[in-house]
Amino acid sequence: MSNRFFRERILESIDNPTLQTALDNNTERRLKGRAAAFESIPDWRERRQRAHRIRADVIEHLDDYLAKFIANNEANGVIVHRATDAKEAIHIVLGIVGADEHPHQQKLVAKSKSMVSEEIELNHALEKHNIRVVETDLGEYIVQLRHERPSHIITPAAHLKKEQVAKLFQEKLGIPYTEDIPTLTATARKVLREVFLKADVGLSGVNFGVAETGGMCIVTNEGNARMVTTLPKTHIALMGMERLVPKLDDLALMLSLLPRSATGQKLTVYTQLLHKPMLGQTRHLIILDNGRSKLRNSPLKESLYCIRCGACLNACPVFRELSGHAYIGRDLSIAPYPGPIGSVISPGLFGKNYVQLAQASSLCGACKEACPVDIDLPKLLTRVRAGKVDEERGKKKDGAGLTWSTRLFLKAFARLATQPKLFALSQKFASLGTHLLSPRAQWMRLPAITGWGYSKDFPRFAGKTFRERYRKSEIANREIPLQNMIAEQPANIPTFQPANLIDQFTTELTALQGNVHQTDNVTQSMIEYLTSKNIKKIYLQPNVLDETLLRQSGIDFTHEPDPEIIVGVTKAWVGLADTGSVLEANEELRGSLLPEIHLAVLESKSILPSLPDAIEMTKGKNAVFITGPSRTADIEMTLTIGVHGPKELHVFVDDSNSG
Amino acid sequence: MPTVQLFITCLTDSFFPKTGEAVVDILNRLGIGVDFAPDQTCCGQPQFNAGLRNDAKMIAEHTIKLFEKTSGDIVTPSGSCAHHFRHNLLELFEGDNEWYPRAEALGKRVFEFTEYLVDQLHVTDLGATWDGLLTYHPSCHTLRGIHVDKQPRTLLKNVKRATLVELPNAQECCGFGGVMSAEHPELSAEWLKRKIANLEATTSPTLVVTDAGCLMHIMGGLKRQGKSQQVVHIAEILNNR
Repeated sequence: MSNRFFRERILESIDNPTLQTALDNNTERRLKGRAAAFESIPDWRERRQRAHRIRADVIEHLDDYLAKFIANNEANGVIVHRATDAKEAIHIVLGIVGADEHPHQQKLVAKSKSMVSEEIELNHALEKHNIRVVETDLGEYIVQLRHERPSHIITPAAHLKKEQVAKLFQEKLGIPYTEDIPTLTATARKVLREVFLKADVGLSGVNFGVAETGGMCIVTNEGNARMVTTLPKTHIALMGMERLVPKLDDLALMLSLLPRSATGQKLTVYTQLLHKPMLGQTRHLIILDNGRSKLRNSPLKESLYCIRCGACLNACPVFRELSGHAYIGRDLSIAPYPGPIGSVISPGLFGKNYVQLAQASSLCGACKEACPVDIDLPKLLTRVRAGKVDEERGKKKDGAGLTWSTRLFLKAFARLATQPKLFALSQKFASLGTHLLSPRAQWMRLPAITGWGYSKDFPRFAGKTFRERYRKSEIANREIPLQNMIAEQPANIPTFQPANLIDQFTTELTALQGNVHQTDNVTQSMIEYLTSKNIKKIYLQPNVLDETLLRQSGIDFTHEPDPEIIVGVTKAWVGLADTGSVLEANEELRGSLLPEIHLAVLESKSILPSLPDAIEMTKGKNAVFITGPSRTADIEMTLTIGVHGPKELHVFVDDSNSG
Repeated sequence: MPTVQLFITCLTDSFFPKTGEAVVDILNRLGIGVDFAPDQTCCGQPQFNAGLRNDAKMIAEHTIKLFEKTSGDIVTPSGSCAHHFRHNLLELFEGDNEWYPRAEALGKRVFEFTEYLVDQLHVTDLGATWDGLLTYHPSCHTLRGIHVDKQPRTLLKNVKRATLVELPNAQECCGFGGVMSAEHPELSAEWLKRKIANLEATTSPTLVVTDAGCLMHIMGGLKRQGKSQQVVHIAEILNNR
């Protein structure tokens, strides 16, 4: 039996109570969070279909969109590389990291989350070349310390409980044992801050590429992707070739679906758009094929529409029992992508080693229902099972991953099902047989090896089948039609109430533990705030506050971002009312990132209703939409504020020009 | 008198013939004649789901030919078989100029039993009675495959003397999944445990389903665990007067 090891792994997961508790927590919180987040966009069904069409169009015309995307990136000053497979991609990364004047010094690469890097096993390859790689997403950092693969594409440490993390940090980081999640998080912040500041190279994934502008959109809650893309002198962005949208407008639509589906957020805390290198920085973009072109020309093409939100994992009853580490191939390697989408693309990208995964599904359809771009995952799973993975290699084998006994039974059954007389006869035999086996009881116990007998009893075949009864019975036609009782409910479409934008902005940001101060004298309010906190020195973006007044009040400031300063004051370009976000788009993005406390000035007239109203402003810029203070839920899904980015966010809404 | 074709499904035919009789009774009472094409066997869904598409085609062609000799709507007391006819056959015969249109024509004639009652006949109260609590398990293919949910719930709400209580996490799969329960009995068993625990939480002695697959699976689990709850096909509830 080819899936023996897979089944053993499944049992291990099921029999691991710690894992099961962690998985139940993940499922419950994610499903609730997602449902609540979608309530705020009543037109989500329509958005989902639009998103499906956009992704379908991109995959259909991928070559054109890629050409446009690459040309725009080159015009933006980004160095673009294309890699056909993992080996090539690794070679390119090694070339970039290794190329400088100190070849003997160990290089340090700070990495934010990238599933593509997991797919090509980049860390392993870099370490082999004496390059130190540090994962900076808290969950990824934890699994890296444990020498594990992520068990979930969004929450890599979803399989662990806080006691395990506490023990890990005690052993590896030398801190006293503590299960206090904020303390654990703060420890990681401290250790990784050093890494950000010292790293030679920052390496990130890409959530979306925007063809019309060349923009790379990267979303993180912790702020680590902002660090790795802006602090080191070299940034490498690693991206799957299918991750494109045509326009910024399309991106705004995708961004209304991705965080809601992934983490139940209206917008991820940091939604970055990178359009060019930072001052003094070299930015590389590596676009990876690694089987995607093949997948695109296969019946599994629709799986390329995926935007990697992980919603199908959270909705899947199989994932809920297994967690990512149990999805193994015949060679016992862990599949790079778990869950329903993984059971399609792992075999789709890497061949029949992983086809057996697709048999582990009841085709219940929860994944399709959860998918923000409406990928018909059950259909794709049946295509993997039908051997469509190997079709083009002329080795098509139907019933892929099926055990021989099931195959034999179903094939024999199919022969019977096309010969009605034989079918009826075998029903008689089955009835006789089961009545002999269980003369008294209607339900009987079968051995576990039958599969059915593992957890449930089996019914006897009926003494008289329906077809026999129908032939013999004379069912009276009592013509007493009942009345039509149905009352059609009027469609109940909630209408969106355009509220006061400032109020809406305040409500949303406050809910995210951000602070809003409304004022008609920003400098004065800022001074009052700083004095109350006894803060003497700040980073200040030029031309934002009345600098003379600041000096007179005894507050020192610098225009040069400095990791030692704990308060940074910047000016927000605009605010977004429906998500409580502020847009920062200037040359100096570090001022809103490095300090522990970020104070943003926002003119009240610059509050716009929603992301689509502002997204065009990011064209050609390096920009970030900031939605609340930095946060994580990577340990036991417990929300913790303040990871790599600021722990506090205060927005001073300036009313003085509101007229 | 208008007449419909009954596709009884292999499971109901072989294991639960009384469900079939209830369907016929109800339709007859509503003034609908029921024809039963005796050469029908199985819809071929197990083969399709397992990835044995040639075998699934063989069975589907048999069924298509069989029903082409008949006319009128086809009613079936199974959401998953209805889903198979309506959706899977299109996937199965995609690109096949001969069989695709024939499969499509068949799919358009097929209705799940409660869907037929409510959407086609516009009947929501069958004058049925049932003493005590009832709770409803929406089968995956009924709920997410053909999007039938309001129909069985409305019919059950109108059952006299019965109290319909909501099953916690009702939308979760029971773990049958056809061949999956044979290929991955360990997984299937976990979901079954959860479904039964949720049923117990309702204190309802009766779980109502629209699919013989779920019925066999959950009932088999209850028997194994020595529980007293019953799983009953909705047709038998609606036929109880």
